[in-house]
Amino acid sequence: MDLNRTIQNLLKDRDRWGKVLSSPLSYRIVEGALVLARKSFPWQAIYQMSRFALNQTGRAYTGKVPVVWSSAFFPVEIAWGLQLCPFSPEVAAGFITGMGFGAEALSMGEEAGYSRDLCSFHRCIAGAARAGHLPRPAALLASTHLCDGAPLLFQNMAELYGAPCFILDVPYTAGRDAEAYVAEQLERLWQDLAEATGRRPDRASLEEALRHSNEFRENMLRANELRCRVPSPISGNDMLAFIYLFFAGQGSREAAEISACLAEEIEEKIAGGRWGGTEKYRLLWLHLKPYYSNEVMSFIEQAGGVLAYEEFNHIYWPPLDPGEPFLSLARKVLAHFDYKPVEERIRVIRELAEKYRVDGIVHFSHHGCRQSTGGSLILKEALQEAGWPVLLLDGDCLDGRNEAAGGMLTRLQAFFEILEERKEGCLI
Amino acid sequence: MITAGIDVGSLSTDAVLLRDGEVLAYSIVNTGAQARAAAERAFEEVLEKAGISLSEVDTVVATGYGRMSVPFADGQVTEISCHGRGSAFLNPEVRTVIDIGGQDSKVIRLDGQGNVIDFLMNDKCAAGTGRFLEVMADRLELSVAGLGNEDLKAERAAEISSMCTVFAESEVISLIARGVPRPEIVRGLHRSIAERTAGMANRLGVMPRVMMTGGVAKNPGVVRALSEKLGAEIVVPPEPQIVGALGAALIARKKRSGKA
Repeated sequence: MDLNRTIQNLLKDRDRWGKVLSSPLSYRIVEGALVLARKSFPWQAIYQMSRFALNQTGRAYTGKVPVVWSSAFFPVEIAWGLQLCPFSPEVAAGFITGMGFGAEALSMGEEAGYSRDLCSFHRCIAGAARAGHLPRPAALLASTHLCDGAPLLFQNMAELYGAPCFILDVPYTAGRDAEAYVAEQLERLWQDLAEATGRRPDRASLEEALRHSNEFRENMLRANELRCRVPSPISGNDMLAFIYLFFAGQGSREAAEISACLAEEIEEKIAGGRWGGTEKYRLLWLHLKPYYSNEVMSFIEQAGGVLAYEEFNHIYWPPLDPGEPFLSLARKVLAHFDYKPVEERIRVIRELAEKYRVDGIVHFSHHGCRQSTGGSLILKEALQEAGWPVLLLDGDCLDGRNEAAGGMLTRLQAFFEILEERKEGCLI
Repeated sequence: MITAGIDVGSLSTDAVLLRDGEVLAYSIVNTGAQARAAAERAFEEVLEKAGISLSEVDTVVATGYGRMSVPFADGQVTEISCHGRGSAFLNPEVRTVIDIGGQDSKVIRLDGQGNVIDFLMNDKCAAGTGRFLEVMADRLELSVAGLGNEDLKAERAAEISSMCTVFAESEVISLIARGVPRPEIVRGLHRSIAERTAGMANRLGVMPRVMMTGGVAKNPGVVRALSEKLGAEIVVPPEPQIVGALGAALIARKKRSGKA
């Protein structure tokens, strides 16, 4: 059974989305399709994650547990620690686009007054929310770091749903004062969120969420270490699927279990000698990818390219201390290498390029993402000086309406030709 | 050894035949609505000009946006590598190539060995491309080929501030209505293209020597405006439109000798 087609068929009548998404029957149908498709998943960890995501989505739409929207970089352990149902609208926007409904949601967002200069994730969320396609939040959580559009979008959405919006103000400069400032906000936010959602602020539950988060961190570190092998034991395109756990799962038992499964599967694959293949070009992939079409990723694969590692799968934060939950979550938030002067991102990317022995670096410059694209020219220059060819691939993760696939593929092919010349010498 | 390069561009399709590194013949035909048919026509024409048969051609490499539509090609290489190769072959001192084609423009940086080290490509917008000039020439009742001579008659350039093709056309209409002499409008348009292209070139970094390729390089008005804007001399090969196809034929030669 084709899983995507099952979901597309369920959602083909846009007027009935609300009913379909809030009906437990829909989730049983999709779960049935998932179970049938289990063997077609390249990794059981991805299968397990799909079931987890489906279950979470069902919980969010059927409304049994208070739903909290959480922005991409918000420390979602806070929500898991209150046994709420976190919902990542950014991941939902990627899913809506992958299912072929992105252009419509974007148009709805634009009709509602959101400028086309805004990030397409946010336009898509705004459009889908106004059409009543997203689960109603009991509260919204957004942080100011990395994605400066998210807190503003979330404030708009809070008004739309009449729900409280909690903003975590993260200072640009890390240090003890910043840690104390963020930790204090997190503690207050945790208490206020509990009150807004009718939950008891239970420290033991929060500590458990932090332990799960630590397990997730450890497992992903293990998986990432295994990925240093050449040839790469897992495709980077598959690895980008785990973004769901990064955005919505950290602090859950399931994310800990799924990441453990992933690390074990990679280990088994390596131990069994069941991996290999020709790698013509090992790439370090920065930012995300287009979700409206698989053309770019397929082209890379067909040309013999592999995503040896992705910036979004990097574990950059120290272990959390369950005894100091707010302070350690503050440290985690402040540790992000992209929320610092660009030199820090350059340092981390250089380390990763060396560690994963890449031939070149591709920065997918998602239109509307100022935090990533803003520093890309400096990043490119520094990495080129250090000896890596760099491609700034302009595009959009969700909005394919203004993208000519031919141009993107030509850029990639030309980049591969540069890599080939470096390996094999002049073409003439 | 005889090799061929076919460059299927948006406006023209060009073919070059090489024998042992010497250009035997070339052809330029309109692409029209069918890329594959255009490639076949260009190839037939160049074979006829050279007086050789298909069986004598050892390897064919296709390039350009329609490179996947050439069924008789032995390989496909991007126009970025091909313009780089072609330019380095014509002048080994070239370090920066500016190619303004029918629907896009590119700036290519080469190392001392003729390898492409970096590039930028604009295909988001018709501004600064051959299509921009086509639209404007049509509005001014000129042929594209006639734009260069018209520029030479100008005493000054009209101010055209829009880079967008649609808005620039509106500005041209206003200038016509105000009675601004046509040569001045043409020079203003050429400056507009130069402005756009120089911005892209400076973003990548311009290293002398600079070579301009693609059909627009045949327009001396654009070349002069761009040279002034960049503050650098621009070398234009005798037939800039075939540089991509030439590069493809050179790469075909390498592919062939690699196999041998």
